[in-house]
Amino acid sequence: MRAFDYAMRQAWASLWRARMAASFAVIAIALAIVVLGALLLVTWNAQRLVEEWSSTAEFSIYLQDGATSEQRGAIEALLDESGATAGRDYVSKVEALSRFRRDFAELATLADAMSDNPFPASLEVRVRPEAEQDGRAAALVQRVIALPGVADVRYDREWLGRLSSAVRTIRMAGLAVAVLMALAAAVTVASVVRLGLHGRRDEIEIMELVGAPMAYIRGPFVAEGFLQGGAGALLALLGLWLLFVAARLWWATDIAGLLAGARLEFLPIRLCFLLVVGGTMVGSLAGLAASRHAG
Amino acid sequence: MIEARHLSKLYSRGLYALRDLSLTVEKGEFVFLTGPSGAGKSTFLRLLLHQELPSEGGLVVNGRNLATLKRREVQEYRRGLGFIFQDFKLIPTRTVFENITFVPEVLGVPANQRGRRAFQVLKWVGLQHRMNAYPLDLSGGEQQRVAIARALINDPVLLLADEPTGNLDPDLSLEVMNLLREVNAGGTTVVIATHDRELIRLVGRRTITLDHGKIVELA
Repeated sequence: MRAFDYAMRQAWASLWRARMAASFAVIAIALAIVVLGALLLVTWNAQRLVEEWSSTAEFSIYLQDGATSEQRGAIEALLDESGATAGRDYVSKVEALSRFRRDFAELATLADAMSDNPFPASLEVRVRPEAEQDGRAAALVQRVIALPGVADVRYDREWLGRLSSAVRTIRMAGLAVAVLMALAAAVTVASVVRLGLHGRRDEIEIMELVGAPMAYIRGPFVAEGFLQGGAGALLALLGLWLLFVAARLWWATDIAGLLAGARLEFLPIRLCFLLVVGGTMVGSLAGLAASRHAG
Repeated sequence: MIEARHLSKLYSRGLYALRDLSLTVEKGEFVFLTGPSGAGKSTFLRLLLHQELPSEGGLVVNGRNLATLKRREVQEYRRGLGFIFQDFKLIPTRTVFENITFVPEVLGVPANQRGRRAFQVLKWVGLQHRMNAYPLDLSGGEQQRVAIARALINDPVLLLADEPTGNLDPDLSLEVMNLLREVNAGGTTVVIATHDRELIRLVGRRTITLDHGKIVELA
């Protein structure tokens, strides 16, 4: 405990003496964490939305114009017995046309000009989330397509899959950038620590000669890195929060309407905590690496 | 206290700093190491401080073979030593008092104990009235007395001094030597490396003269 107290006091004093250089190191760490944090913010929100959309998945079965009530009954029976569906609604041809007129009012005249109703009757099926995830829904769709009376089935899962894959790719690429930036930040921290080490070489020599434990010799340098890393991480979280507030304003005015009121959320507390831990780890390791020259 | 047997220190350039040196220093002795520059005096002190290891031969201090000490054992061994340098090696950003309490502080001694002991040694070297001054505000003699106080705060069994009077005028040199004689009178073994023959004559203690890494005279 005394060694910890000593290390923190010495580290604080050393950082204060070299406050200009230390500020650069803190900013370098903050930038690396902002990049990583922004990436987490984007991918975490994207992943959350994908999961939300996946959990409300549904598919549409378009019926042939000449489909009989027996054929429709067979389709409905298969859906109900599959255990993969959470409910279904029948949309008649007339209802489909009126929906079109309601949703696309500016094109209503186009529909009026047609002699026949071109819209097919359909069954809109809500899928159970677990059936969506374990592939039963996709298998059901394949069986439904083959039934008589079915014109087409619309099950748009591919774009969700592509979105998930894009989120993963962005996460990996961003992670690589963040790692590079973290390395650069670590080098900056190590340089600041080495600067302090150079200024205290007599002190270190005396400590070695009196037989001071390693914790006292290297501890202050590790603590310097720890403090710089922690300060950088907290600064990064503040910057991220400001970015998030700006992004949320933009989202609310321009995007949310397009995505059925989907909301942006800030990183959960555990991720914020992990970012701070990461910052202090990078700083401490840089301090430890620099302190190899001491003792 | 110190036993060197056929001790050699060979540097990478093929140069011997010490060559086949054998000597004994008894517990409680006061010994001068002298000789011209490059004779091996400072090398011998560095070996005693475990800053370097012998190339050949053995060096046993207070029952410990310095060649075989592990890192933790080196730390323990050094806690029994005191050292004084020609350039004092005081920390300019710390006061006299802090320079002295620094040593027990990094050895984990509680604050009240180290403060009490620091005041005792400062009083002993006659600098208690300057305890809040910074090293650069002190004269050379005062700085060396602070260095002596720092060396003594842990009650060392062996005090090593490398040219402790090298930066001082003759009067101050004698003053410092008198302090070291007092330390020795308290039972601490003292080994001083100096090339100041006049000072050795005035103090009049056992003297080992080195030249080119070998003992050339014992007096």
